[in-house]
Amino acid sequence: MVSQRVIVKNEAGLHARPASALVKVASRFESDFFIKMYGYKVNGKSILGVMTLAAESGAEMELILDGPDEEKALDELVKLFDNKFHINSE
Amino acid sequence: MKESQAIILSGKPAAPGIGIGKAWILEEESKTVRPVKIRDDEVQENLEKFKRAKEVTEKEYKKIKSITDEYDALEIIEAQIQALNDPEVSKTVTKKISDEKYAVDYAIFSTYNDYIQLLESSDVTWANERTIDIVSIRDELIQATRSGKKGLTVQKGDVVFAVNIPPTVMVKLSRIKIAGIVMEKGGLTSHAVILSQSLGIPCVINTKWNKYNLQNGKQAIIDGSTGQVILGPSWKQTQEYIKRKEDEASRFLKALEWADKPNKTLCGSEFTLRANVEFLEELPRLKTHGAKGIGLLRTETILFEVENFDIKDQINFYSQVLQNADGESVTIRLFDAGGDKLLENSDTEANPFLGWRGIRMLLDEKDLLRKQLEAIYTVSGNFKEQVKILIPMVTNFEEVHEVKTLAGIVKKSLNSRNISFDDNLKMGIMVEVPSVALMAGHIARHVDFFSIGTNDLTQYTLAVDRGNQKTSGLFDSFHPAIWKLIKMTKDAADRQGIPVSVCGEMASKPEAAACLLGMGINDLSMNAGSLPIVKSVLCSHKLDMMKKLAEQVLQTEDLKTIHALLEEWRAV
Repeated sequence: MVSQRVIVKNEAGLHARPASALVKVASRFESDFFIKMYGYKVNGKSILGVMTLAAESGAEMELILDGPDEEKALDELVKLFDNKFHINSE
Repeated sequence: MKESQAIILSGKPAAPGIGIGKAWILEEESKTVRPVKIRDDEVQENLEKFKRAKEVTEKEYKKIKSITDEYDALEIIEAQIQALNDPEVSKTVTKKISDEKYAVDYAIFSTYNDYIQLLESSDVTWANERTIDIVSIRDELIQATRSGKKGLTVQKGDVVFAVNIPPTVMVKLSRIKIAGIVMEKGGLTSHAVILSQSLGIPCVINTKWNKYNLQNGKQAIIDGSTGQVILGPSWKQTQEYIKRKEDEASRFLKALEWADKPNKTLCGSEFTLRANVEFLEELPRLKTHGAKGIGLLRTETILFEVENFDIKDQINFYSQVLQNADGESVTIRLFDAGGDKLLENSDTEANPFLGWRGIRMLLDEKDLLRKQLEAIYTVSGNFKEQVKILIPMVTNFEEVHEVKTLAGIVKKSLNSRNISFDDNLKMGIMVEVPSVALMAGHIARHVDFFSIGTNDLTQYTLAVDRGNQKTSGLFDSFHPAIWKLIKMTKDAADRQGIPVSVCGEMASKPEAAACLLGMGINDLSMNAGSLPIVKSVLCSHKLDMMKKLAEQVLQTEDLKTIHALLEEWRAV
């Protein structure tokens, strides 16, 4: 199991489009993926779960990966947060 | 013996005949979801329904995806598919079905609702806005679990009880030899009723059968001539109706004897009676009932029934119809979808009858129209001078020209492929909108013939929704305004030298048929079931009397007097 803390950098927060992008990437990996935030823990492959976090810009969360490809998955997901989910205009 | 008492209901007679059989209730597609519990042995079935519903809904979304290339739209659809296949949702729904034993629709409903509530109560605006999309996913999934059980369990000989029967369902029902139809709603000229008349299925409408705890399988008797419906009849009642049914059959056989006689009035004046046809199943009745060809071939059915139908299916359908026409003409009406006959993928309109229907829809869906024209012209090559095209819902002559232009393109294409067709194929229009009747003199120059559709003409002239039971009492094709418009149309056509026929249900009433003949309209088309009776009345009277009747009707200003005048002509 690996985990890392990340910050939502998108101005509009982790809204529908970034959530969709996150789930899309996460679903490519075999490992289980959870997001922990304010004491909540949701399945990171569940778009509805991610959306209900309603994470705003600047929100901090912990990405937890568990499975055979956990390292690679964590790496890609962290990158996604850093690149603001490749969403330029909001 | 303790037998529950028979319940006698009375509704409005819509299609004559007596039907005796077991009740079968057509469940309505409803949006209400109740926390229904299931039995252990139903768990598997419900889980499978959930799986199928997801597949069906995802397919639908992918279909939309394939017709748009807008990036934003694609992203939204992608997110919708993710929400549809959300692993947490699937887990919860499965648990609710397997462990808590809820029916699939409630399991889906309550699972998505938890998320919807969370999103709704969020302080973040975008989260609130997303709830709409989740609601639509939820409802689409629920709908999909239900459409799976659309396969009708009705049996031959059953009496169908329904609130209302959508045309697409009616088409399926008509394939099964049901004993009768009882509807809570429905107007006399609704699609379901017209089809029952044509196929000889007894039908009663405006019956509040819903108030009684009717169960599938209960014995029922329906009398489509009086409007009486009996639930759980006694042995005596059943025997009485069996006897009546036999009497009726023999009376009809007597009228059928007229079928072979020449189409001439008592004084020798000729007329033509044709059949309105929609299904291949109706074709055997043409000969037995004495129809001279088909005055109105409705084609919407093939559009509703066959998914991804191609030109070949249409050519096949038209050819079969023409082969049964015995060398007489067949007037093919272009797809008349819209109004109460909706395509399944079309939007709901506030005023469907004033909306996207008939030629309006076809001119927007040119590919559909082009294919139909190609199929009709191709068939006309084998049946020269027999095929005619009828354009529905025309409101101005420009629409006719657009169809002609497209027909020109189709003909060119057939020529280049050496496919023969009837180059003189006649093209006419439905006169079913007052504007066309009023401008008939002008429009007659652009078309080969007129066919008057009295049902729509009545509803558009009198501003009465023919399917609305609250106003259906005002719907009366014998209204003086309708007779006046028919006369105007006939006069205009005479001046231009083009033929006029009436293909509306008006022609199927012998008293109205006599009046139309008196007005000089001697080409009538009606449901095959009505042909023998109408023919017997026309053959047994002199044209002079019909002319006098027409004159009187045209001079009358009130509906009551018109009804009184026509009453004498009703068949006994």
